[in-house]
Amino acid sequence: MQNFAYRAPASTTDALRLGTGTGARYIAGGTDLLNLMKDGVQRHDLIIDLNRLPLHDITPTTTGVRLGALARMADVAAHPQVRRRLPLLAETLLAGASPQVRNAATIGGNLLQRTRCWYFRDASMPCNKREPGSGCAAQHGQNRWHAIIGGSAHCIAVHPSDLAVALTALDATVHTLGSGGARTIGIRDFYRLPGDTPQVETALRSGELITAVDVPSTGLTGRYLKVRDRATFEFAVVSVAALIRTGGGGVVREARLAFGGIAPVPWRSAEAERQLIGRRLDDAAIEAAGRALTLPAAPREHNAFKVPLVRRALATALGGLR
Amino acid sequence: MSPSVVGRPIARTDGVAKVTGAARYAADADVTGVVHAVLVTSDVARGRITAIDTAVASSGAGVLAVLTHDTLPALTLPAVTSFYLKRFVPVQDDRIRHAGQPVAIAVADTLARAQDAAARVVVRYESAPPQVVLADALGEAYVPPPGSDGPNDYTRGDVAAGMAAADVTVEATYTTPLQHHNPLEPSATVASWDGDALTVHESAQGISITQNVLAQAFGLTPGQVRVITPYVGGGFGAKGPAWPHTLLAAAAARHVGRPVKLVLSRAQTYTSHGHRAETHQVMRVGATREGRLTAIDHVVTQQVSRTEELLFNSSEPTRMLYDCANVRSTQRAVRLDLPTGSFVRSPEAATGHVLESTLDELAVTLGLDPVELRLRNWSAINQETGAPHGSNHLRECYTRGAQQFGWSRRDPRPGSMRDRDGIIGWGMATAAHTAGGRPGSGATVTVGRDGTARIECGTQEIGTGTYTVMQQVGAQTLGLAVHQVTFLLGDTRYPAAFASAASATVPSAGAAVVRAATAARDLVVAAALADAASPLHGVAADRIGAEDGFLFVTGQPWRRVAYRDVMARHGAPISATSTPVPTPLGYSTGAVFAEVHVDPAIGRVRVRRIVGVFDPGRILNRQTARSQAIGGAVWAVGFTLTEHTLVDPHLGRVVTPNLSGYLIPTNLDIPDIDVDFIDRPDPDSPALGARGFGETPMTGTTAAIANALHHATGHRFRDLPITQDKILAALS
Ligand SMILES: Cc1cc2nc3c(=O)[nH]c(=O)nc-3n(C[C@H](O)[C@H](O)[C@H](O)COP(=O)(O)OP(=O)(O)OC[C@H]3O[C@@H](n4cnc5c(N)ncnc54)[C@H](O)[C@@H]3O)c2cc1C
Repeated sequence: MQNFAYRAPASTTDALRLGTGTGARYIAGGTDLLNLMKDGVQRHDLIIDLNRLPLHDITPTTTGVRLGALARMADVAAHPQVRRRLPLLAETLLAGASPQVRNAATIGGNLLQRTRCWYFRDASMPCNKREPGSGCAAQHGQNRWHAIIGGSAHCIAVHPSDLAVALTALDATVHTLGSGGARTIGIRDFYRLPGDTPQVETALRSGELITAVDVPSTGLTGRYLKVRDRATFEFAVVSVAALIRTGGGGVVREARLAFGGIAPVPWRSAEAERQLIGRRLDDAAIEAAGRALTLPAAPREHNAFKVPLVRRALATALGGLR
Repeated sequence: MSPSVVGRPIARTDGVAKVTGAARYAADADVTGVVHAVLVTSDVARGRITAIDTAVASSGAGVLAVLTHDTLPALTLPAVTSFYLKRFVPVQDDRIRHAGQPVAIAVADTLARAQDAAARVVVRYESAPPQVVLADALGEAYVPPPGSDGPNDYTRGDVAAGMAAADVTVEATYTTPLQHHNPLEPSATVASWDGDALTVHESAQGISITQNVLAQAFGLTPGQVRVITPYVGGGFGAKGPAWPHTLLAAAAARHVGRPVKLVLSRAQTYTSHGHRAETHQVMRVGATREGRLTAIDHVVTQQVSRTEELLFNSSEPTRMLYDCANVRSTQRAVRLDLPTGSFVRSPEAATGHVLESTLDELAVTLGLDPVELRLRNWSAINQETGAPHGSNHLRECYTRGAQQFGWSRRDPRPGSMRDRDGIIGWGMATAAHTAGGRPGSGATVTVGRDGTARIECGTQEIGTGTYTVMQQVGAQTLGLAVHQVTFLLGDTRYPAAFASAASATVPSAGAAVVRAATAARDLVVAAALADAASPLHGVAADRIGAEDGFLFVTGQPWRRVAYRDVMARHGAPISATSTPVPTPLGYSTGAVFAEVHVDPAIGRVRVRRIVGVFDPGRILNRQTARSQAIGGAVWAVGFTLTEHTLVDPHLGRVVTPNLSGYLIPTNLDIPDIDVDFIDRPDPDSPALGARGFGETPMTGTTAAIANALHHATGHRFRDLPITQDKILAALS
């Protein structure tokens, strides 16, 4: 790991001033950034510690709950308002990482964690995301973990966050602060598909801070199902966040379906949702939703299994909501 | 012999030191003036170094040296018999034999500076596409040089006739993946020179191996090399042979004239000390309708490297275990551009898995209970050598295990046992592993004037309980209480011992302790008998017993004298040293039963229950023996369901070189494990009736889990690890 300067500003103004400099990087819990720096995947000259900023609070709002960017995953999952009004969010957070990691990791950091693609995480391998133009070794390499939807010839890495999947189903809003002022960005506009610029992952501008995430409570019943290769302490092979509201006769009035592990971004499938609206949540409807979801799938050599797996996961998640 | 010391479930004596951090592992060695070395390793798998630029790296603050093949002094390649397995020493020429091969060594005053310097070394390669996929190269399989791990071509009887005589035959092809050891403590070396004397603190499973290898590499006598290893943070075979990092650390230390510490990074451990080679196995078995085996034909093809041709997946279980007159085992190798393989916890697990899985296939074909099938083919003798086992209570393991598991309630129809949220499968298999049959060890026992004993033995504590168990063996043999004995290990100044590997520590080091302690005790008895003032004076030596710190006349326990008093009157310590005696080949067996639960919706599998009943001869310490069985079961869950080192087929590089990508079971993946022992002494054992046991419990458990998965799903999973996607595919 190369040497770097360290600052811990007490105000967002100071943080922003430091953060817009070249070679600067924010640090929150450090659970991702430090690994990337130690492995030489990222190099930064100035590390700006955000932990003194007043962005830790978890506050109820009229529409839901506002999560400060520095709120810890563990604290959010345990917060009574979150548990009562956003059980899906609590369930999702607890399905991620380990208690030790969740105690340190923040909401803002979680949204910005980098992909677990092994080619990205090894600084000496070809990777367009890390080093544009160097190639994507995953296309014809070990791609069991990689995207089946939304990838490009330049990158098929998946976004690893569980939280982002739940927030995508919940239609959360990300609040940011940059040199140009404050912005709000819908979670669905926050992440960018790789296209031919896989190094651009989000709508954030250089030096822009995440200050908070607004999560509306929906009144829908939901479930987060995470499928992984061992019982715990492991990222999702595929995951599903499903939210459903049914009306008279068990007919689905509203459905929100988001998926992890299958795409370079948390994947919301309007096509799958449409298959459920106005129908009862029976096997045929669920089957149709699954087919609609994976219609655009273009699996690679080792990840074709994700097509049936994500459909089964969707069916299991929805089955639990009947 | 009193049962009071040996057999007792004494908590490990090094436990407190380990959990409080007081235990000093190799990298913790407090060596004045130590500096740090970091290896630069090759990014390509096959080719040649065309240029190395060390200028920037060398100019960093605190950097003492950046050594390459141009600047590192020549080292002698140690003989393969020394257990330096690689057939080259890296950083000696420009050739690249595998990705991860060391190409330079950066040495600096702090670890951070050494790491920084290593990162700034620029290496240019001329590379060729590597070949790393076993399946693509099976056509290149060849007969490797003989003798590295059992016969390459073994036959007894007439396999063709045996197959022809069979009422049923089963043929199946299995594959097992590349796997790594993953000890918690990465390999570490602290090397310091004093003139031509070299002292090395090493995380080693065989300090004498490390000593000899270093002596050969540097042209020294073994006496000039001292290796110190009081603790090993897990080895699982990784630290049995000696590997390049140890030589390179010592070479760097000599070059900079300072003690050098070198700790492998986690990623480097995936290319630096061997692995379990990928295998492709074709198994054919024939049997009568009654389930008597008429023939076994087992072909194992496994990866070797371009520079080494050693095999480590021996077909030993096929040759030894079951009563069958016609057996052929064939071992073949395929050269790939990968590092050399090596021993990985229970090396025979990969072939044993296939034998035990195919027997389950046979049981299904015959409609015979798998326990019954094994009982019908039980052998009282080692089928390969024809020699009787010292003792073999395997049949009792089957019946007791079946009872403890509740096997009689099993409905044999696949998929027939269910609960609310899924399918349950029950499977079983035989655990079997040789134990011993290796070189002997020596030990010195010194009884002090205070009547306590100190035992020195150049063995190792790899976490299995050696400190504790050897203390018990010494106390038992001497007739002292456990707390009156101190056991010291991990220093080549002590009598040399065999490596802590191959389930050999108890038979090898244990026997050395027994012999030395017996001799020392006899000398103490002689001193007591010769002392006119002793209550034992004049009694025949063979009538003297020893227990709990006292010598006494057998049958007259009131005629006794304390060790302390004998030694005080004797006035000088009494000491005896045993010399190595090769240990007899033992066979430790058992029966393992497993329950799995499968969620058919998403193919998720969980192991719910494991019951193992084992026969390792006499149990020296129930607690440490049980821990071995639990550890073996945990590794078996990993072997069967999750562990797989992935290599990029084009780059020839490991893409999972960390504990995030290489999946080892977590606590939540591990069920309750019920362990029981027959606990009957083996009359052939030179170690108080005990046999080696470390490797037995993992064998059997892997196939028990896989067989349970067949029972749950009706599908035979022949390609390991059995991940969720394979289960899902089978169920759809
Ligand atoms: C062993 C392990 C297992 C894990 N398993 C899972 C899992 O199963 N599921 C899952 O979802 N995650 C998992 N994670 C990832 C973990 O959740 C993230 O590492 C964590 O949430 C990152 O948060 P942090 O505060 O530590 O971020 P940091 O590491 O501090 O920062 C991450 C990135 O975010 C940027 N950043 C942080 N805060 C802000 C801000 N307010 N504004 C702008 N930029 C910011 C930093 O500059 C950096 O680039 C795992 C991590 C580990 C180490």
